[in-house]
Amino acid sequence: MKNVYLPITVDHIARIEGKGGVEIVIGDDGVKEVKLNIIEGPRFFEAITIGKKLDEALAVYPRICSFCSAAHKLTAVEAAEKAIGFTPREEIRALREVLYIGDMIESHALHLYLLVLPDYLGYSGPLHMVDKYKKEIGIALDLKNLGSWMMDELGARAIHQENVVLGGFGKLPRRETLERMKDKLKEALPKAEYTFELFAKLEQYREVEGPITHLAVKPRNDVYGIYGDYIKASDGNEFPSESYKEHIKEFVVEHSFAKHSHYHGKPFMVGAISRVVNNWKLLYGRAKELYDAHKELLRPTNPFANNLAQALELVYFIERGIDLLDEALAKWPIRPRDEVTVKDGFGVSTTEAPRGILVYALEVKDGKVAYADIITPTAFNLAMMEEHVRMMAEKHYNDDPERLKFLTEMVVRAYDPCISCSVHVAKL
Amino acid sequence: MKKKKLRIGFYALTSCYGCQLQLAMMDELLQLIPNAEIVCWYMLDRNSVEDEPVDIAFIEGSVSTEEEVELVKKIRENAKIVVAVGSCAVQGGVQSWGKDEPLEELWKRVYGDAKVKFQPKMAEPVSKYIKVDYNIYGCPPEKRDFLYALGTFLIGSWPEDIDYPVCLECRLKGNPCVLLEKGEPCLGPITRAGCDARCPSFGIACIGCRGAIGYDVAWFDSLARVFKEKGLTKEEILERMKIFNAHNEKLEEMVEKIFEGDGS
Repeated sequence: MKNVYLPITVDHIARIEGKGGVEIVIGDDGVKEVKLNIIEGPRFFEAITIGKKLDEALAVYPRICSFCSAAHKLTAVEAAEKAIGFTPREEIRALREVLYIGDMIESHALHLYLLVLPDYLGYSGPLHMVDKYKKEIGIALDLKNLGSWMMDELGARAIHQENVVLGGFGKLPRRETLERMKDKLKEALPKAEYTFELFAKLEQYREVEGPITHLAVKPRNDVYGIYGDYIKASDGNEFPSESYKEHIKEFVVEHSFAKHSHYHGKPFMVGAISRVVNNWKLLYGRAKELYDAHKELLRPTNPFANNLAQALELVYFIERGIDLLDEALAKWPIRPRDEVTVKDGFGVSTTEAPRGILVYALEVKDGKVAYADIITPTAFNLAMMEEHVRMMAEKHYNDDPERLKFLTEMVVRAYDPCISCSVHVAKL
Repeated sequence: MKKKKLRIGFYALTSCYGCQLQLAMMDELLQLIPNAEIVCWYMLDRNSVEDEPVDIAFIEGSVSTEEEVELVKKIRENAKIVVAVGSCAVQGGVQSWGKDEPLEELWKRVYGDAKVKFQPKMAEPVSKYIKVDYNIYGCPPEKRDFLYALGTFLIGSWPEDIDYPVCLECRLKGNPCVLLEKGEPCLGPITRAGCDARCPSFGIACIGCRGAIGYDVAWFDSLARVFKEKGLTKEEILERMKIFNAHNEKLEEMVEKIFEGDGS
C-alpha cells in the first residue's frame, strides 16, 4: 500500500516583506515538489503607468515597495533621465547615492536584526527580545533611524521619497545638515562593525551548500557601489544593462503572481552576497579589512552568507556615504535642480537595491510613459530560492514538520525577499 | 486591579508594506507594546494567528484577490474595531490608477496568456467589503498618525478624523505656494492634512497621497477650474486627481462640471 503524505505548508512566511508561503510535497521517495507560493495580489504597475505623465509615473513607481522605495525612485528617475537625454551634475549624483545609501543602511539593519536574528536567538519576533537583548535592539534602532533620517533629509520622507525629481532634487538640506550626516555616519561605524562580528558567529547551514551563479551590477568608476551600466556574472560574463533581456528570461509559473527568471537557462542569485562575490576587489577601508580577515565566511556557495554580506555592506556603505558627502560638499553651494526638457527616448537603468539588481526600462513619448519594464531583485531570486528550499527540504523531510518549516523559512529569510516588489512587475 | 491588555492584529492585503514598516520603525512602539498584546503581525512575529478574536484590527493594503475578500470578512467577524490603514486600504491605493481599464487587459499586458492558480481582481478599498470604523490616511501614514490613533485607543478613547486640507498646514509653515506662485498642479487644496505639508515644504507639488478630504468639502471643481486656467486638459486633471482618488464617487462629475459646454 502506498503511503499518503500531506503537503507541508507554511501559508504565510513571517518576518519577510510581503505575503508568500512555502509548500513542500513529500512522497515515498522523498521530496516531490517544492513551491514558493506568492499570493500577494498583482498591482500591474507597468501597465497602469502607460500613457501617464512622466513625473506622475515617477511618483507612483516607488510605491511598488516600502523597504526599498528610494531604490525604486532613484532607479526610475535615472532611467527616465537617460530616456530624455539628461545627465545630472556629479554633485547631484553623489547626493542621490547618499540617499540610496540611507535606504541600504535602513533596509539591511531592519532585515538583519528584526527579521533574521530572532531565529538564531530562539524568538518568534524582535519585540520579545527587547528585555534580554537591549544592546542589539538598540543598535538596530540606531542604524535604522540613521538610514531613515538620511532619507527624510534628502528624500523628504523615509518611505516614498518625493524630493527626487527629474533634473535633481526639489530642495537640498542645508550644509550644516550634511555635515551632521557625516558625523552621524562616523558614530554609526562601530555599531556596524559590531553587527558584522555578531553575524560572523551565526551558523550558515551547509544543507544548502552548492554552486551558485551570482549576478551584480558592475559599479561605475571602479568603486564598490550602487550605480552601473553593465551587469557582471560570476561565470565571467559581462553585458551592457540595455541587453538584459538577451541574457535573462522571465516566465510565469502557476503558483506565483511574481514571474521567475533564468540567466542563460538557469536559476541565479542577486543581492549583497552576489555584490561581494563579484566586486570584492573594489571594496576599500574598514570593509576591505573585514573582508580580507573573514572571506572564508562570505561563501559564494551558500545563500546564508547573504546575511553576513549585508553586515559587511553596513560597514562599507557608512564609510562610502562619508566620502560621497565630502565629494558633494567640496562643490558647495549646490543648485538643487537643473531645467530639463522632456524629449522622446528610451532609457535603461540598473542599480543595486538592498536586495540586488533592480532594472528599470522606460520609453518616453510626448512627455508620457510609452513603455515600462521593471524587474526587481526578488523576482530574479525566486527560482534560485526555490532550489535552495528544496535542498533544505531534501535533507530534513523526515524530521518533525515544525523543524522542517522553520529551516525552510530561514532559507527564504536569508534572501531577504521583498514579495511586494516581485509581484505585478513584469514586461509588457 | 490589572488592566486587561488590548488585543491587536495587523493584517496585510496587497500593498507595499510601507504602513507596517512605518509603524515598525517607530521607537515609540516599544513604549506602546507593553500595553497591548500582539495577536497577529506577520511582518514582525512568527507566532502570528490570523483567525483569532482581537480588539482592534489594523488592515493595510487594497483588496486585490478573491482570497483577500474572504480574509477581510474574517477579520471583521473577529474584530471589535476595524481600522483601515493607508491609502491602499482607505482609497484603493495607486494600484487603482488603472481601474478604468478592464482587468483582463492589464493582466494580458503583464502576464500574457499565462495563468496562475489564485484569483486576481481590480484593487478596491477595504470599505467596499466590510464596515470600517476608523481610517488612518497617508502613503505612508505619518508616525504621528499611528501614535495618535494607537495612543487614543489604548487609553480607551476614540481618535478624531481630519477634515481640513494640506493648504492649511502649508500656510502655517509659511511655504511659498506651489500652486499659485510656482504654477504647479499641487493637490494640496483637496487633500487631507496631517502631513505638515511635507512635499510642498520641499517645493514639490502635492500628489494627494492622503486622499481627498471628505466628499462634501473636497472641492475638486474649484481646483479643476484653477488647473484649467493654467492650461491643463480635462484628462490631465482627472489623471492627476485619480492617482490616489480613483474610487472617489464625486470626482469625475465635479471635474466634468468645469468643462461643460467647452466641447472639450
